[in-house]
Amino acid sequence: MSKRAVMSVAFWSFLLALPAWAQAPARGIPRAADGKPDFSGVWQVLSTAAWDLEDHNGALGVHAGQGVVEGGAIPYQPSALAKKKENFQRRDTNDPAEAACYLPGVPRATYMPFPFEIIQNPKLITMSYEFDHARRSIFTDGTPHPDGFPDFWVGDSRGRWEGDTLVVDVTNLDERTWLDHAGNHHSDALHVVERYTMTDPDHILYEATLEDSKVFTRPWKISMPLYRRTEKNVRILEYECVQYIQEQKYGNAKPLGGK
Amino acid sequence: MSGANASPTGRSHQLMIRTLLHLAAASILATASLPLLQAQNQTSAKWTPPRTPDGHPDMQGMWARRGAAMAEANAPKTPLSEFGTTGQPYPTVFNTGVITSQEASALANRPTGIIEPANRVLPWRPEADAARREFLSHMIPPASLKYVEPQARCVPPGLLGGDDRHPYQITQTPKSFVLMYEYNHVTRVIYTDGRPHVGPNIRLYMGDSIGHWEGDTLVVDTTNFNDKTGFSQTIPYHSDALHTVERLTMIDPYIIDYQLTIEDSKLFTAPIRIAGSFAAAAKGSELMEFACAEGSQTLPNIFGFGLFQGQ
Repeated sequence: MSKRAVMSVAFWSFLLALPAWAQAPARGIPRAADGKPDFSGVWQVLSTAAWDLEDHNGALGVHAGQGVVEGGAIPYQPSALAKKKENFQRRDTNDPAEAACYLPGVPRATYMPFPFEIIQNPKLITMSYEFDHARRSIFTDGTPHPDGFPDFWVGDSRGRWEGDTLVVDVTNLDERTWLDHAGNHHSDALHVVERYTMTDPDHILYEATLEDSKVFTRPWKISMPLYRRTEKNVRILEYECVQYIQEQKYGNAKPLGGK
Repeated sequence: MSGANASPTGRSHQLMIRTLLHLAAASILATASLPLLQAQNQTSAKWTPPRTPDGHPDMQGMWARRGAAMAEANAPKTPLSEFGTTGQPYPTVFNTGVITSQEASALANRPTGIIEPANRVLPWRPEADAARREFLSHMIPPASLKYVEPQARCVPPGLLGGDDRHPYQITQTPKSFVLMYEYNHVTRVIYTDGRPHVGPNIRLYMGDSIGHWEGDTLVVDTTNFNDKTGFSQTIPYHSDALHTVERLTMIDPYIIDYQLTIEDSKLFTAPIRIAGSFAAAAKGSELMEFACAEGSQTLPNIFGFGLFQGQ
């Protein structure tokens, strides 16, 4: 190898190593007045996780995709795996979010193929989702999960900062949501821990660990980037799924007792 | 994970203590300020609101909306009124935010409802008035989906359709003023960053809201409505020509004055002005989840079949 080639290799190795060197804490990310990373803005995934968290092929209306589950497969208990397979067969009629427009739950709200806006304040981080105008309040005021509350479709979220990472603990999740359109599911014992880490001004690394002793054999993790929607004046619009499906299914229906 | 140091009883106990404290404070304030009021008549003008870091009034917190309603004189009867209500409040879990200890005294003598026209007779276009009366006559039983009262089938409520037994929360950032409804989990992000409205062909249940500050008053201009939400049980729909201007002014620690101007040239021949208030709700309360379609049996009961084969 010529001296010039060696220099070139060294140069490019240095450049390639830069991103790793620049990690933690990320430089140049926007910061809020309290010094925390400022997640304010409109974000959206570019993954196919909403259809299937695991590796999957394309189908009519389904984008092919590489899985987002660490280790490849969701560690189901045997009976839970059987239920997942049954769900998959009936996904077009039984997926609560797609077939009935029910609130998507957590973490699915994050990776529905719709944008969401983060509204950040020191004590409250609000996530406003375009799908079903869903909303999550992430309390970062040090309050614990309330005791004795019922389950919610989007759960109860309490956040804290670990350095520059927002860590959100989610409990009180309603067992009726699915994790994706492929029928991946959970029980009312689901406990989700999300981690939001801004890697540069326009990207958040989203990680979620799911723990459910009734359904899985061990906690498991998904991760994917969130991309900032950088269009000028971009805002959350409306995807009022409930209204669309009502109009489709009841639009020409004859009411009981109608004339 | 759970760190549960607030049991349900602990929580309601705290709330009760807070309520009592607020009541005590309110009565002391009321007594103390009486001579002042008599002396200068305009005490509230001297009060200055807390500020956000960017210098605007800080209205963040939990609020109960009161009085902002399209209660017209000579309203036609709605068949729904025959059903009445139970008179019972919602279960506690749904109204933790609307305990407003100051409410009774603070809201007394505040303007509410339609203030223009003063006689509360709305300037209806005859054809629009006829259309809503036709709607009301076909409501029960509903002749088709479109005659089912919008709120009963989980349509986003628009500006006046929210159920005010549920609290609201305000949060502010340098670029937006956000009004969150507990009711039907609606979030109105009112951008104050100088952006224009979205294009005219985008039509939204909650409209497109942009705001600016005029002194200490937030002025909110909303356009781009669709024609699928309404104003009240007797005015089930407005038109897509609706244009509203809201003015929010914090006048003391417990009250945001709320003024709403409604222009809908397809319904009315003149603007309508409405007044109301946001009254401070119990400190420490939080918005709960109001899921609507997930639990509603309205449409299955009317049409005899459900939407969903799942669970």
